[in-house]
Amino acid sequence: MGMVNLAFLIVFPVVAAGVLLLVRNNRARSVVVIVSAAAIMIASAWLAVGHLFSETWYPPFEGEWVTILTLVIDVLCCAYIIVKGIRHKKPLAVALAAVQTVIIVAFELLIAHGMTIENNLYVDGLSVIMTLIIGVIGGGICIYALGYMHDFQVHEDDNDKPDRRPVFFALMFVFLSAMFAIVFSNNLTWLLCAWEVTTVCSFALIGYTRTPEAIDNSFRQIVMNLIGGLAFALALVYLGYSGILELDKLIAQGALGGLVIPLALLAVAAFTKAAQVPFQSWLLGAMVAPTPTSALLHSSTMVKAGVFLLIKLAPCFGWSYNGIMVVLVGGFTFLFCSFLAVSQSNAKRVLAYSTVANLGLIVACAGVGTPEAVWAAIFLLIFHAAAKSLLFLCVGTAEHHIGSRDIEDMDNLFVRMPILARLMALGMLCMFIAPFGMLISKWATIVSLVNTDNILLLFILAFGSAATFMFWAKWLGKVLAIAQQDPDVEKTVHPSEWFSLALMAALVLLLSVGFPFLSEFVVVPYLAHFAADILPGTTVWWGSISATIDFDNLIIMAVIVLALIAAFAVQFTRPKKPTASVYLAGVALDAEKRTYRNSLNGETQTTQRNWYLDGWLGEKTLEPIANIISILLIAVGLACSLLVTGGVL
Amino acid sequence: MTGLSFVFSLVGFGVLAPVIGCLLAGIDRKLTARLQGRVGPPLLQPWYDVRKLIVKQSAQVNSYQAFYVCMSLVLAVLAGAFFFAGGNFLLVVFVLTLSTLFFIIAAYSTRSPYAELGAEREIAQVMSYEPMVILISIAFYFALRTFDTGVVFSLDRPLILSLPLVFVGLLFILTIKLRKSPFDLSYSHHAHQELVKGITTEMSGRTLAMVEVMHWYESILFLGWVGLFLVWGSWFALIPAIIGISAVYFLEVFIDNNFARVKWQSMLKWSWVVTLVCCSLNIVLLYWLG
Repeated sequence: MGMVNLAFLIVFPVVAAGVLLLVRNNRARSVVVIVSAAAIMIASAWLAVGHLFSETWYPPFEGEWVTILTLVIDVLCCAYIIVKGIRHKKPLAVALAAVQTVIIVAFELLIAHGMTIENNLYVDGLSVIMTLIIGVIGGGICIYALGYMHDFQVHEDDNDKPDRRPVFFALMFVFLSAMFAIVFSNNLTWLLCAWEVTTVCSFALIGYTRTPEAIDNSFRQIVMNLIGGLAFALALVYLGYSGILELDKLIAQGALGGLVIPLALLAVAAFTKAAQVPFQSWLLGAMVAPTPTSALLHSSTMVKAGVFLLIKLAPCFGWSYNGIMVVLVGGFTFLFCSFLAVSQSNAKRVLAYSTVANLGLIVACAGVGTPEAVWAAIFLLIFHAAAKSLLFLCVGTAEHHIGSRDIEDMDNLFVRMPILARLMALGMLCMFIAPFGMLISKWATIVSLVNTDNILLLFILAFGSAATFMFWAKWLGKVLAIAQQDPDVEKTVHPSEWFSLALMAALVLLLSVGFPFLSEFVVVPYLAHFAADILPGTTVWWGSISATIDFDNLIIMAVIVLALIAAFAVQFTRPKKPTASVYLAGVALDAEKRTYRNSLNGETQTTQRNWYLDGWLGEKTLEPIANIISILLIAVGLACSLLVTGGVL
Repeated sequence: MTGLSFVFSLVGFGVLAPVIGCLLAGIDRKLTARLQGRVGPPLLQPWYDVRKLIVKQSAQVNSYQAFYVCMSLVLAVLAGAFFFAGGNFLLVVFVLTLSTLFFIIAAYSTRSPYAELGAEREIAQVMSYEPMVILISIAFYFALRTFDTGVVFSLDRPLILSLPLVFVGLLFILTIKLRKSPFDLSYSHHAHQELVKGITTEMSGRTLAMVEVMHWYESILFLGWVGLFLVWGSWFALIPAIIGISAVYFLEVFIDNNFARVKWQSMLKWSWVVTLVCCSLNIVLLYWLG
């Protein structure tokens, strides 16, 4: 039964994608998307029922033909990039894709061919958690896209652009399939294939609108991720020579201190996927794509593949050269991107920088490598996926109804889009403040860092968190501001959008309340199973496994969440009657509109912009510094891994 | 922190803190007046002010501001209760940050130009002191291998001996937290350096009364943080602790009266520099001492 379920999750989205490519009728497409997304959600939940709490399960599946299929898919992906690259005159992308094809084909035919693989697939607690994130959140985003893309296409029609929605939805579903393959593959060649498919899908999704900007940004994405893909392929070659082609065996060997070079290369591959500095610019550029793409790529899939791999490899890091590199790259990414987010007024760019920053935190936790840190990393991953997708979807809907994605234009959103503003506020609260998930996970990060004496990281965390508070609080303030009685413009939001928004909001609240139980019954058992099933008995350094934060304190936080929900529920239903108008220094003309009589006897409206600290924290100032530091760190890290293997260090 | 100690702490802090806080505020005003060559109001003037605010007719710009301020007050009390019950220091810090966030949102919700500017400045204040606050808890952990504040009553010697520079850093940001000049950017009790009334511009009547009471609670909580560094496992420790806390409070009033408000840029820059220098040197010191 489990095997069927697994096959369904990987194959069915591709079938759905095929159908969606052919369907041109809007209503038929809605039906297909909703039914497929629902089927994927149910299958994910079904898998969770069977495997969320149990030990690692290796489905008995030989699948020689799948390996051949992955080779074909790899070659097709590279061919697609080469064709696109030639058409748009991007020699770098063509060269990288060509080199990668040669390496992969040579590897498959010369090294991997004939090697026996014990287990091609696996299912454990973390892959089930990822399945739920991909299936439920990813599926929700696909449903949301129905309404969003309808409005989007209306705008495109005005500009005489063709309707390419069949391609869009097909890509979304292929993406889901590839992500499922990533979290179930124990065979590293399969993993690499799925990895490349996500790269190519996001390339096509970013370039969806075919504007010059979109095409440029999609090529930036493909170049950076091909660098990562190349690193992955090289790691595979090295591993092939060492006789290891399975993820669990790699982890077991790596945890004993071996395989330093392939681990360093895999870390670099994960950095590109997770958009760590200096690769962050592809994620920022990806914001030109329609918002469901951003939501899918940056909350539940694409970037999560990178951190997922690092979390898996975490026992191989710790206080080693690789571990230090991973910790520092993640830490500096968190610091600089939190600062950079302060300087942005474009809501999607704030979300993008915050995404990169939080991924940096997850990467740093994976680098620390202790069970405590992995516990924190898993919760960061879960809550980031839920809260960030809610926020992206909110911004997307707001943009279509107020005509802007600028935070300054979200003034008075509380009145103009009452429900949406509240959901957006919920998403923001979950991102940066106790008692919600992200902050508790950050708390756990602090605990795991003090227990491993990572002093530099603790300083980075302290200062970065201050910036985090600033950029969220000022945005939250704008959204919750209440002024004149503007008309309510959220009446035309599509039901599909409301459904997904409600789903994400419910997830955020349920997860926040259920945090202690999620820790007790899912994440801690997963860590124990993982250590028992995969890590060799000699790696005693992984130590005893327990929740990083005491159950009592988690319960306190959950109770505060419940109390806040109750308080807000009461407040929102109370009658609202202002009895005074704001103070405008005694010369107000219309207090609702904040206008006053100026010194020339004319009428002036007061405006108030948030602070963006652009001079200090702007992209021009910080980005070069961040890139240089990070490139140096990665270069030194790779050099060290070579020297260690060569016996010099 | 057990459930019972929490309940005791909640009741004790909930009842005693505003009383002591109010008296401290009265002493503050007396001292300030003397430093300025005035006689000053009666000791209980802060209480008379709040009592008057409570009976005033309600005038609200919107129905949310009072709610947010109320949430802020409740959370500040909760943070104090966690602290004095010997709970996790990070828990205290995070609950207090949530309280501050609600206060900021309260001001933003009015969309009043003056209140919004005050809120923006309050955010800058949070950004200035937050790294120090987090690093205090981290230094606390490095010194004692726990985040639970209760352990200070089982120490052989006070924490200030192992974390002297962190204590200096705490004093620096305490000026921001206690809303004393030169760092009283978001709102001040000195009329001469205020832009209308900062973050509290649109707060009046009971809402403003809640803000005042919250300030009393917070003052006691922050002085409790000072006390954390001064006590050890002996009843005798209470004497130097009380003397130390009083000295710190007097120092804050003294600074308040001798410095003009600075720009937020200076506040941010200097708090971060002090935080970096004090905490890093002190952690080096801790390692050196073993």
